[in-house]
Amino acid sequence: MDKLLEFIRSIYVVVVFILLEVAALSYYARSNAYTQARLLTRSNQVVGGVQGLFTSVRTFWQLGAENRRLTEQIIALEEELTAYREAEAEGRLRLLADTMRRLPYYYSTARVTTSSINRTRNFVTIDRGSKMGVETGMALLAANGAMVGHIVSVSKNYAVALTILNPQFQASGKLSHNPDYYGSIRWEGGDYRYVTMDELSKYADIHVGDKVISTGFSDYFPADIPIGEVESFQLNETGTYYTVRVRLAADMSSLSNVILARNPNSPELKGLEAKLKKRYQ
Amino acid sequence: MYRLFAYTLLFVVAMLFQIFFFDNLAISIYLSPLIYIAFVALLPMETPPIVVLACGLLSGLTMDWSMGLEGINTAVTLFSAFSRRMVMNLSIGKETVREGGVPTVWKVGNYSFILYLVLFVALHHLCFFLLESLSWELLPIVLLRFVLSSAVSICFIWLFSQLFLSKLSSL
Repeated sequence: MDKLLEFIRSIYVVVVFILLEVAALSYYARSNAYTQARLLTRSNQVVGGVQGLFTSVRTFWQLGAENRRLTEQIIALEEELTAYREAEAEGRLRLLADTMRRLPYYYSTARVTTSSINRTRNFVTIDRGSKMGVETGMALLAANGAMVGHIVSVSKNYAVALTILNPQFQASGKLSHNPDYYGSIRWEGGDYRYVTMDELSKYADIHVGDKVISTGFSDYFPADIPIGEVESFQLNETGTYYTVRVRLAADMSSLSNVILARNPNSPELKGLEAKLKKRYQ
Repeated sequence: MYRLFAYTLLFVVAMLFQIFFFDNLAISIYLSPLIYIAFVALLPMETPPIVVLACGLLSGLTMDWSMGLEGINTAVTLFSAFSRRMVMNLSIGKETVREGGVPTVWKVGNYSFILYLVLFVALHHLCFFLLESLSWELLPIVLLRFVLSSAVSICFIWLFSQLFLSKLSSL
């Protein structure tokens, strides 16, 4: 008891001071709206700061678990993002296909499983086969709608396309701004980024950078499909037509999603051609 | 007895000087000396802390009542009164403080007395002006007020010590 009294005696000045100070400050704080607002703000800042300090200390000990949780969350989000990206790519292709479906051709999408660009004869394999309605003769377009090739072989779940980077590939092209003149498209081997458009009339108004598109003469490709743009051109030795070097619009080295186009009249055309062949052979 | 009379006179003169001279003489917004703190500052060094606190309370309440500033003088003067022992120990030295006596130039020396006044007045004035403005945006003005007002207050308190307490020092 004596010790308690001694202790109180030793601190009573401090206690009296604190009590009086608190009373004076609260009286001052209540004296007008300005001091009330300012002191309340300051006290909230102090209280907030102290609470923030305690929270920081508490958080520090939880950092390990938090880090693990965040890593797991990142992995989950990455997976989700990949799924979204795939869905978006597919969605874009579908949108393009839907738009193009209004044309006489039927369109669908597919994913490239294997492709080659550095062989003499290059092919692309896609993950859609006869089960999904894929047929030989269907056109294969890149995701940007540019010409890639046409289907030559179909199994139940897969199909193989002959690409523009194959000497057996046949198509015709024309200049987008000058459609009256056209030439045949062929690949001369070598650089996978370029093909040659032969036999373009010398009267064609041609410039570097002109767009080259499909003519629609082929059974495989609809008209006005982008092929590429003029890189360079020169007249042949006799001066009768141009040989044009065309830079391909489709990036053949990174094909992943492709569009399939089918001409519904193709069997009828082929049947007619076969009949004529038989008759005149 | 003479000491009580001298301090009562000091209290009255300091308060009257503050109320009728400095509070009414608006020389500049940067000049607001608070010379009433002289009463607490010049109390004998051996004065018990609770008495110093009571003197601070009395000075503060008197000034709040006369200036119409509710609580601010009381709060600041109480704080100054509470910190007085620490400031004295720091500026005058524990030994001299323990010996007691009236804090004047003759008792503690010129340097220590001035240092004590500077520290004590600065502490009081800084707390007062900061509490009055309650804003960091006004800090440059507050600091200018603090420096100029403190300088004037120190001069006046030094003068009061010469006028009222010179005789007490020799007793």
